[in-house]
Amino acid sequence: MEIVIKGLRKHYVSDGKVIKALDDVDLRIPENEIFTLLGPSGCGKTTLLRCIVGLETPDAGEITIGGETVWSTEKGIYVPTEKRGLGMVFQTYAIWPHMTVFDNVGYPLQNRKVPKDEIRRRVAKTLDFVQLSGFESRPATKLSGGQQQRVALARALVAEPKVILFDEPLSNLDAKLREETRKDLKTFLGELKITAVYVTHDRVEALALSDSIAVMRSGRIVEIGGPKKIYFDAEDRFVADFIGRANLVPAVVKEQREDATVVESSLGLLACRKADFPLGEKVTLCLRPEFIDPARGGEEGDNVIRGRVASLVFIGDAYEGEIRAGDENLMAQLGPETELAEGEEVSFRVSPRHLLLVPA
Amino acid sequence: MTHRHGKLTWGLIVVVGFLTVCPVIMLVFGSFSTGLTATGDFTLSKYIGAYTDPALLEVMGNTFVFVLGSATLATVLALFLAYLNNRTDMPFRFLFKIIPVVPMMIPHILFSVSWVLLLNPSNGIFNLILKQLFSLDKAPLSIYSMPGMILVEGLLDLPIAYLIIAPAMASFDVALEESSRVCGAGNSRTLRRITLPVLRPAILAAFVLCVIRCLASFAVPSVIGMPGRIYVLATHLYQMISTGFQADYGMASAVGMSVLAASIGLIYLYRYFTSAGERFVTISGRGYKPTVIRLKRAKVPLFIILGLLSLVLIVLPVAALFYISLVPYSMVPGARAFAAMSFKHWTAVLKDPISLLSLKNSLFLGVFGASLGVTLSVFVAYVIVKVKTKSAGLLETLSFLSFSFPGIVIGVGFMWFFVRTPLYATIWALLIGYIATYMPYGIRPITSAFIQIHSHLEESSLVSGASYLTTLRRIVLPLLVPGITSGWVLMATMFFRELTLSVVLSRPGTEVLAVQILRFSEDGLWGRLSALGIIMIGVSTLLVVTVNLIGNRFKPAES
Repeated sequence: MEIVIKGLRKHYVSDGKVIKALDDVDLRIPENEIFTLLGPSGCGKTTLLRCIVGLETPDAGEITIGGETVWSTEKGIYVPTEKRGLGMVFQTYAIWPHMTVFDNVGYPLQNRKVPKDEIRRRVAKTLDFVQLSGFESRPATKLSGGQQQRVALARALVAEPKVILFDEPLSNLDAKLREETRKDLKTFLGELKITAVYVTHDRVEALALSDSIAVMRSGRIVEIGGPKKIYFDAEDRFVADFIGRANLVPAVVKEQREDATVVESSLGLLACRKADFPLGEKVTLCLRPEFIDPARGGEEGDNVIRGRVASLVFIGDAYEGEIRAGDENLMAQLGPETELAEGEEVSFRVSPRHLLLVPA
Repeated sequence: MTHRHGKLTWGLIVVVGFLTVCPVIMLVFGSFSTGLTATGDFTLSKYIGAYTDPALLEVMGNTFVFVLGSATLATVLALFLAYLNNRTDMPFRFLFKIIPVVPMMIPHILFSVSWVLLLNPSNGIFNLILKQLFSLDKAPLSIYSMPGMILVEGLLDLPIAYLIIAPAMASFDVALEESSRVCGAGNSRTLRRITLPVLRPAILAAFVLCVIRCLASFAVPSVIGMPGRIYVLATHLYQMISTGFQADYGMASAVGMSVLAASIGLIYLYRYFTSAGERFVTISGRGYKPTVIRLKRAKVPLFIILGLLSLVLIVLPVAALFYISLVPYSMVPGARAFAAMSFKHWTAVLKDPISLLSLKNSLFLGVFGASLGVTLSVFVAYVIVKVKTKSAGLLETLSFLSFSFPGIVIGVGFMWFFVRTPLYATIWALLIGYIATYMPYGIRPITSAFIQIHSHLEESSLVSGASYLTTLRRIVLPLLVPGITSGWVLMATMFFRELTLSVVLSRPGTEVLAVQILRFSEDGLWGRLSALGIIMIGVSTLLVVTVNLIGNRFKPAES
C-alpha cells in the first residue's frame, strides 16, 4: 500500500523553546518498497513513524494509507492506532514478559477475533518463517536478544498487514548479531509483498536494506533517493556528509565543460562530476576516503593531488591515513598492506566521477 | 485519548482532594470556632488558651528531645546495618537483611507494650530477674523515661530508615569508591570522604522521614510516656480530647495546626532530599558488582552486636507477649512460672465481646479498606505516571500530602467533618479516614510498578489491534500484579493495626484492635492484652502470606 503524507507538522515545547519535530513534511512512500527514514537523533524520523502508526497526534496535516485517510486535521479524521491494521517492530521489541511466545505472536489475531485453530496454524506458519519453530510454549523472557527481535517481527507479520513499520529494530543488538539480523531481515522482507517503513540512524543499515532512503534533518526531509544515488550523487552537503565518511573542501567553480565541472581549491584545479552551478559560485567539494589511493611520488597530469602522509593508523582491514594536501588534511583509506610510511610525499589521481560538488 | 484522560484526572483530583484537603480545612475552621461544630462563632480563644498554657513549653521541649533523639537513633542504626549488610563480608547477611524490616510486622502498640512488660519498674520481667540476681530492693531500670521512649521509638522507626538507606547503599556506583582507593585513600577514609557524602541525600531523607513519623507517633508516647508523666504533643492533644466531660476539640485543633504545619514543611524537605538523591546516585546497570570490604578482626564483635539487635527487635517482644499471655501475673521465668501457666487470659479474650468486635472491625477495615484503597491507588498512579499534564502534577502533590499527616491531628479534622454527617460513629468514618491518611502507601508501590512498564508494551498492543480497554486488561494489569500485591499488603497491615486515627474516630460499636489494646494497657490487663496481641500478629501474618501467595500465581515469569 502506498503511504501519502501532506503538510505534516508537530511542534513540542521544551524548556520554553519550540522544537519542530516535524516541519510541514510532504512525503510519498511507494507501494511494496523498503523505505528508510535516516537521520541523526532528534531529526524527527521516529516522530514521523509514530504519526503514521497513530501513536502520536500531529498538529496539522494529512496521512493517507492505501487510499484511506487515517489522519486529517482539516477534515477532522482520526483513525485510532488499533484500527489502522499495521504491523510494527519497536526498538525495545516490546515483548510482553507475562506471556509465552505463542501468546505474544497470536495476540494480533486474537484481537481480530480469528478462530482458535486458525490462530494456531498461522502462528506456527509465522514462527516457521522467522525460524523460531517449536518455541511456542517458551516464556517470552527466556529468549536471547536476537530471538526476541524475531518474535517481535513475527508478531508484526502474523496478521499479514500491508504495511510494516520498524523503529530502529537492530539498535539493541551487539555488532555481530546486528549484521546477521540485518541480512535475515533483508531476506524476510524480500520474500513478502509489503510496504516497509524503516527508521534508523545507521547509514550501513539504511544502505544495505533500502529501496529508497529519505534523509531527515531538524524535522524536514532533505533528500530522497536510492542508496547509490544518495551515496554517490547527493544534492546536499549534509546528506553527502551523513551517508558516509567524506572530505569536504571549499572550492570555486571555474569552468563548465560538457562532461565535467572544473573547480579551483587549495588542492589545485580539479575536474569534477558535472553539476549545474554558475561560474564563480562557491561550492563544496566532496571526496570519500575510499576513493583516495595514494602512491609514492610519480603520478602526473590532470586531476592529480599531491601531498604528504601525515599519519597512518592500522585498524585491521585497512589503514586510516591522513594526507596533508594544500590547506587540507584529507582522510584516506589505504589497503592493510600498504608500504607507505608517515612523512612520505605521495600523489594520487581522482576520477571526476568521485569528486562530488554540493552547495557550500 | 487526551480528552478522556482529562476527565479521569479531574475526577481523581476531586476525590483525592476531598480526602486530603477536607480534614485540613475542617481543622482550620474548628480551631477558630466555639462549640461542637466547626462552623460556630468565630473565636481566637482556642489559640490563646492553647498557646498560653504553661504546660505547653515543657511539652514542646519533650517533643523536641524525643523526636530528634529517636530519629537520630533510627538513622544511625539503619546506616550501620545497611553498610554491614551491603558492603561487608559479614556472615549470615541474608538473614540480617530481613531483620531490620521485621519490626514492620509487629504493630507499634504491641512493640511498645512488650517493652513495658520487660522493663517497667514495678513488675518488668528484666527488673524482676535483676532484683532477684543482685538482691536489690528497687527496680534498677525504668522504661517510663525519656531514654526509654527514645529507645523504643528509634527501634520502631529503624525499618523506614533502613528501607531508604539500604537501596541507596546497594545501588552505589562502586567506581566512585574504587577511584578513591586508587588515589591512595584507605577503607575508612574512603567511607568518610566518598561513601557517606555521596549517600548524604538518602541519609538526610531517612532522617527527615523519621522525624515526621516520630512527631506523629502515638503508641510510644501513650504506652510508655504517659505512665511516666512525660507528655509530647501527640499525647498532650490526646489528653485534651479524651478527658471525658471537658473534651475540647477546638483547643486540640489549635495545637494540631502547628504539628500539621511542621509535618507538611518537613515532607517538602524530604521530597527535596529524595530528588537530590536521584540526581546524586547514578547506577550503571552493566556488570555491577560491589566490592566487599573484609571485616577481619571486627567480624566477631560486630556479629554479636547484630545478633543482639535481632534478639531485641524480634525475639524479645514476641516472646514477652507470649509469656505474659500464659502466666497469671508477671513473674520471673522459671519452674514456678511454668507450673502456673494456663490459657486463662486467652479464654477471657475469646469470650470478651468487645475484643471480638474489634477483631471483626479491624479485619473488615483491613481487607475491604485495602481493596478499596488499592483500586483508587491504581487510577491515581496511572494518571501520575502516564498522563504528564499540569493537572496530573497537582494530583501527585495532593496524593503525597497525606504522607505527612499526623494521624491524631487529622483525626480531629475528620471528627469535625463526620460529626455533621450520618457517617459519624460508623465504621465507614474510619474507612474513609484510613484511606485518606494511608493513600501514599498504596500509591507508591503501584507507581513504581507503572514506571517499570515501558510505554512500548502498551503501544505494541494498540498496534496489534487491541482496544484501549483490552490493552489495560491483558497487558497493563497483569504486569501490575506485583505492585498491586505489595500496595494491598502495605495498606491492609496499616489498617489492621491502625491506632492514632482510630483513637479519635473510634466510638462504642466501632472499636478496633489497636484501640482495644490501648484500653487493656491503660487498665493494666497485661495478660489479656498479650493474648489479643498474639492473635493480632497471627492474623496479620496470615493475611500477608495468603495475599503474597495469590499474587505469586499471577506473577509474570522471571527473566
